[in-house]
Amino acid sequence: MKGLASRILRLDRRAIFILIALATLLPLLHPIGFPIRISPEVKQVHDYIESLPAGSVFLLSLDFDPASKPELYPMAVALLNHAFKRDLRVIGMTLWVTGTGMAEKVVSGVASQYGKRQGIDYTFLGYSPGGSNVIINMGQDLTAAFPTDHYGERTADTPVLRGVRSLRQVNYVVSLAAGTPGVESWYVYGKEKYGFELGGGVTAVIAPGLYPFLDTGQINGLIGGLRGAAEYEILIGLKGKGVAGMDAQSATHFVIIALILLCNFLYFLAPKTTVRSFDGAQDRPGSPQGIGR
Amino acid sequence: MAASVFIGAWVAAGLTLFMFSFLYKDNPFFRFGEHLYVGISMGYIIVRIHYDVMMKSLYSPVIREGKWWLLIPAILGLLVLARFIPKVSWLSRISFAVIVGFGSGVAIPRIISSNILQQVQGTLKPILNSGQRPFGMTQFNSLLILVGVVTVLVYFFFSIEHKGPIQICARIGIYFLMVNFGAGFGYTVMARMSLLIGRFDDLILFASREYAYASLILLVLVTLGLILWERGRRRAETPRP
Repeated sequence: MKGLASRILRLDRRAIFILIALATLLPLLHPIGFPIRISPEVKQVHDYIESLPAGSVFLLSLDFDPASKPELYPMAVALLNHAFKRDLRVIGMTLWVTGTGMAEKVVSGVASQYGKRQGIDYTFLGYSPGGSNVIINMGQDLTAAFPTDHYGERTADTPVLRGVRSLRQVNYVVSLAAGTPGVESWYVYGKEKYGFELGGGVTAVIAPGLYPFLDTGQINGLIGGLRGAAEYEILIGLKGKGVAGMDAQSATHFVIIALILLCNFLYFLAPKTTVRSFDGAQDRPGSPQGIGR
Repeated sequence: MAASVFIGAWVAAGLTLFMFSFLYKDNPFFRFGEHLYVGISMGYIIVRIHYDVMMKSLYSPVIREGKWWLLIPAILGLLVLARFIPKVSWLSRISFAVIVGFGSGVAIPRIISSNILQQVQGTLKPILNSGQRPFGMTQFNSLLILVGVVTVLVYFFFSIEHKGPIQICARIGIYFLMVNFGAGFGYTVMARMSLLIGRFDDLILFASREYAYASLILLVLVTLGLILWERGRRRAETPRP
């Protein structure tokens, strides 16, 4: 038994890669349909948008780049669907220069599905340099921060921005963020001073750090990771990439938990096994040394 | 389907497989993809900065609207580049002084207010409120936050030796920290798996007939390429008699 445990502990790490790949691939090809429970923090974002009357101003800041697309793009699609369904005036923008093209594509793409007209029902302001300072600038004068929108039209003359001189006239801001500048910048430099309501949608990596701000009411809701996106899709009755990925997510988590338990059990069976110093570790692919190259 | 979408799908599928090939080992496919990513990202940033910053925020307002005062930050920006010329590198300090001074002035009061004062206020919630049940989940959560904050602060209090009750408090603080690290790690795993799901999702889409089985064909080609590269490498490493 000890020999077997020792052998499994010395197994090539690429075996784990294959297991994870299978656990991801199979549920994507053959969905299982695990139930998805709605968390209160996601529901709060949904309920707030639901409570806004038609014509309210909704600003969606897509503060991420293509590296975080799998988590935040489904959130953007779900939020935009909800906002256009509710006939809100939608303003899209980004604080991340590398995300400009992708952000414009999702805003205009979802808008076209609802027959919304650019400049009249929605606009995409694009990118403006300065990170957090852009938020301060928008709080003072939105047209100064963005003299023209992404399409080159003067923001002062854009019908959808009529009556919106600064962030004070925005009813709800949601920042979909993969880092800084992101949700934290929006409440530090925006919400506190200009008094709009703020919600957040973030990658799972940064979600735990934002829960204290949810607890204090600095943000009124939080959509965390692909799981959060799936919950939002369920809430608006639009099953998209978020829901589709949940089975695979559950399966991979199950595999990881099982591997952690198994390896701990085997380690106690064969405690003297030197897992990280097997023969030729330095040259072997996938070894800790190899990963750093 | 537009030709650009079709070609884009093949490029995306190919580059995804190139990057995944690192799971086998460091190889020329991976390095090609890595270098291409760095180059394209930089090129894209330069183009966007040109249009969104230089043209939209500087050239048009100055030339068309006569907002000449925008030349002041533009000159300050140019002064940063003086660092590359040793004789006048001191000029860059003017720009950095403005950046540091303005940045600190803007950030310090706002961060103290948001990240310290409001958080302290949130932590000091009353455990018992009139009209509420004395032993509900709200009270339990408030108590948990209070114990967590106090014990973690005690753990980081190094002015007195951790002995007796202080040691017990510090130990409880460590457990709270461990739970925090565990939750953080769990979320990180979830995030990484989401990225993997995203790529697999696209690979499955590009493996369809509509995209001429791009993922499958490229998977075979990359695998063959890796086999050939590995054989060539081993042959080169074998000592000649």
